[in-house]
Amino acid sequence: MNSGPALVLESVTKRYATVTAVDRLNLQVHAGSILGLLGPNGAGKTTTLRMILRILLPDEGHIRIFGRELDDSGQDLIGYLPEERGLYPRMIVREVLTFLGTLKGLSGVEALRRTDRWLERLGIAEWAHRRVQELSKGMQQKVQLIASLLHDPPLLVLDEPFMGLDPVNARLVQDCLLELHARGTTLILSTHRMDQVEMLCDAICLLHHGRAVLSGNLRSIKQSYGNNTLLLEFDGQADGYHLTPFASRINRQGRVIELRLKPGTDHRSVLQFLLQQGAPLTRFELIEPSLQDIFIETVQSSHA
Amino acid sequence: MRKLARIVWREYWTRLRSRAFVLSTLGLPLTMAAALAVPLWIASRSSSHQVRIAVVDGTGRIAQDLVRALEQVQGRGSRLSVTELIEHPSNLAAVRDQLRKAVLEHRLDGFLIVPDDAIKTGTVEFAARNPFEPQLTETLTQALTRVLLFERLREKHLPLDDATLFATPVRLGLFKIVGTTMAEEHGQAIVPAILLATILYATLLMYGMTTMRAVIEEKSSRIMEILLSSVRPIWLLTGKILGVGAVGLTQYLIWATAGAILTAYARFAAQMLSPGARGPQLDLPLGMWIWLVVFFLGGYLLYASLYAAVGAAVSSEQDAAQIQMPVTALVIASFVLFVPLMQNPNSTTSIVLSEIPFFSPILMVLRICLETPPLWQILMAILLLGATTTGTVYLAARIYRVGVLVYGKRPSVTEILRWVRYS
Repeated sequence: MNSGPALVLESVTKRYATVTAVDRLNLQVHAGSILGLLGPNGAGKTTTLRMILRILLPDEGHIRIFGRELDDSGQDLIGYLPEERGLYPRMIVREVLTFLGTLKGLSGVEALRRTDRWLERLGIAEWAHRRVQELSKGMQQKVQLIASLLHDPPLLVLDEPFMGLDPVNARLVQDCLLELHARGTTLILSTHRMDQVEMLCDAICLLHHGRAVLSGNLRSIKQSYGNNTLLLEFDGQADGYHLTPFASRINRQGRVIELRLKPGTDHRSVLQFLLQQGAPLTRFELIEPSLQDIFIETVQSSHA
Repeated sequence: MRKLARIVWREYWTRLRSRAFVLSTLGLPLTMAAALAVPLWIASRSSSHQVRIAVVDGTGRIAQDLVRALEQVQGRGSRLSVTELIEHPSNLAAVRDQLRKAVLEHRLDGFLIVPDDAIKTGTVEFAARNPFEPQLTETLTQALTRVLLFERLREKHLPLDDATLFATPVRLGLFKIVGTTMAEEHGQAIVPAILLATILYATLLMYGMTTMRAVIEEKSSRIMEILLSSVRPIWLLTGKILGVGAVGLTQYLIWATAGAILTAYARFAAQMLSPGARGPQLDLPLGMWIWLVVFFLGGYLLYASLYAAVGAAVSSEQDAAQIQMPVTALVIASFVLFVPLMQNPNSTTSIVLSEIPFFSPILMVLRICLETPPLWQILMAILLLGATTTGTVYLAARIYRVGVLVYGKRPSVTEILRWVRYS
């Protein structure tokens, strides 16, 4: 696989009547990588995805896909799972998929062949001849996913791909995505589930008010925040310990505390303090900050 | 282009198999068959049904002649029979009252009162539960005219030999001039004109709205975004309009075939019932069919694009109900205008109206049907229609492009206009 960029956004801007949804956004997605597109609601994620899909045209800037300017034919290189899922409710599953496949440039026969293979692969082959509206929500999700990757696109854009899936199906979809990744497909994932981003993504781009406030390789971003976070777990309730003198941020979640050390604070002094208090510690670990933390911190600081 | 074909085909094929299509396609020929068969059936029943009338002859001179004249006027298998003859009634009021009772008790169907001065005045009265029955009154009038004429001649002592000749009514033959030929007119232009106008009106409205609903459906089922990630909105819109239009043409074809078979059958049936009867006349010259298809296509494209724009602008059918009103009003207006146009198809108003693109699909077809407007008028209407349609399709495409991605509140007209200008 060549390691050149699969997708480049150069100073891309999109304005609506009163707001600038995307503001001079620069973005590079390396071929074969998985990019997590993050951001709070209304940050411009959907508009960005829609411009990549050429559903919307940018007011300014350029979008290049695999080295050439994105045009109508470039649409066939991309698969898309939109956040707002939708299929023709009264159409037969197999016919919808074949139709959508042909819209991406497949021949009718080829689209049908691939449809059957994917329905089999995702375990819904026996529903192939049912109407879409007869399917459960989870099954419709899978059908929708098939629609996005039927034409085997080198670039796959997924908006909240795990939404509404039970753990078993989420795992199935995840395996599917990892298999595509292994075969060299470039993936762009837009999601609010930070745990999945940490698990799947090579790089992230955090949007806020239409701008990229943080972007790059996930590993290096986390490293740049340093090993200054303490993960504490207690046998029992974790509150009641006065930890503010040590911490710049404290995140309490039941029996767990995530604590960002103040600069210059030695983590051992925290341990000492807790032992003096007789705290029933079961875990004391120095870790990188979680993406969730980085996300919240970045968004909050860019508000100021 | 292959993608466009796919879109057209999906639209066409799923619609063709839908219950709505099957019902509406079968519905119209069945209704038409019923509309033709029921009158025939009633006619066949009532021809065997005898109408019994009483004749009260105040003159005391014409009763016998009238009975004979009625038989002559009706010809064979007459259905009118005089069951009671009263000459010189001593008390007319009492007789009338008695006859009225007989009618109410169904012993009699009606009665004719010839006053004693009828020969001079020509005034006769007929009473029945339903006196206005064209065929019946026609028969009575003819017979009475003849009998009274005889009496008048007899009074003046004029020879009666040629009386039948005198009594022969005028038959005004109507001829329609079409180019170099003249065809005798029996209302065969009016019937198809009304029929065509109705069909055009119904199909323009029906398929226009179908296009609108199809757009709303894709919007509300949220499949739009996937479609737009594969094809440009203009192809989506074009595919939708062409697909639904093809369904319309298919329906026309089925109806035309059914219509041809039915007309042939109805004519055959009419011949069987009463030899010499014409039966329904629905023949259309080939040229007429070509104009019909041209104007249907033009009108359909015009209205379908407008309806599609409405569908793209709203998120639900409830919202659509309000915004579509101006469009629907145009279709309805062209149907309503067809009454004044039919009365005077060649007036300046009619000509101007039939040139207006929003009306011409129905009104120009009507004028072509009723008389033959100059070719330039037809061509100009087509030209104007084509130009306007190009405009509305362009406009619709621009509204569609933005509208299909906008959900929520129903947009205002100014908002929609801003979409059009939107780059």
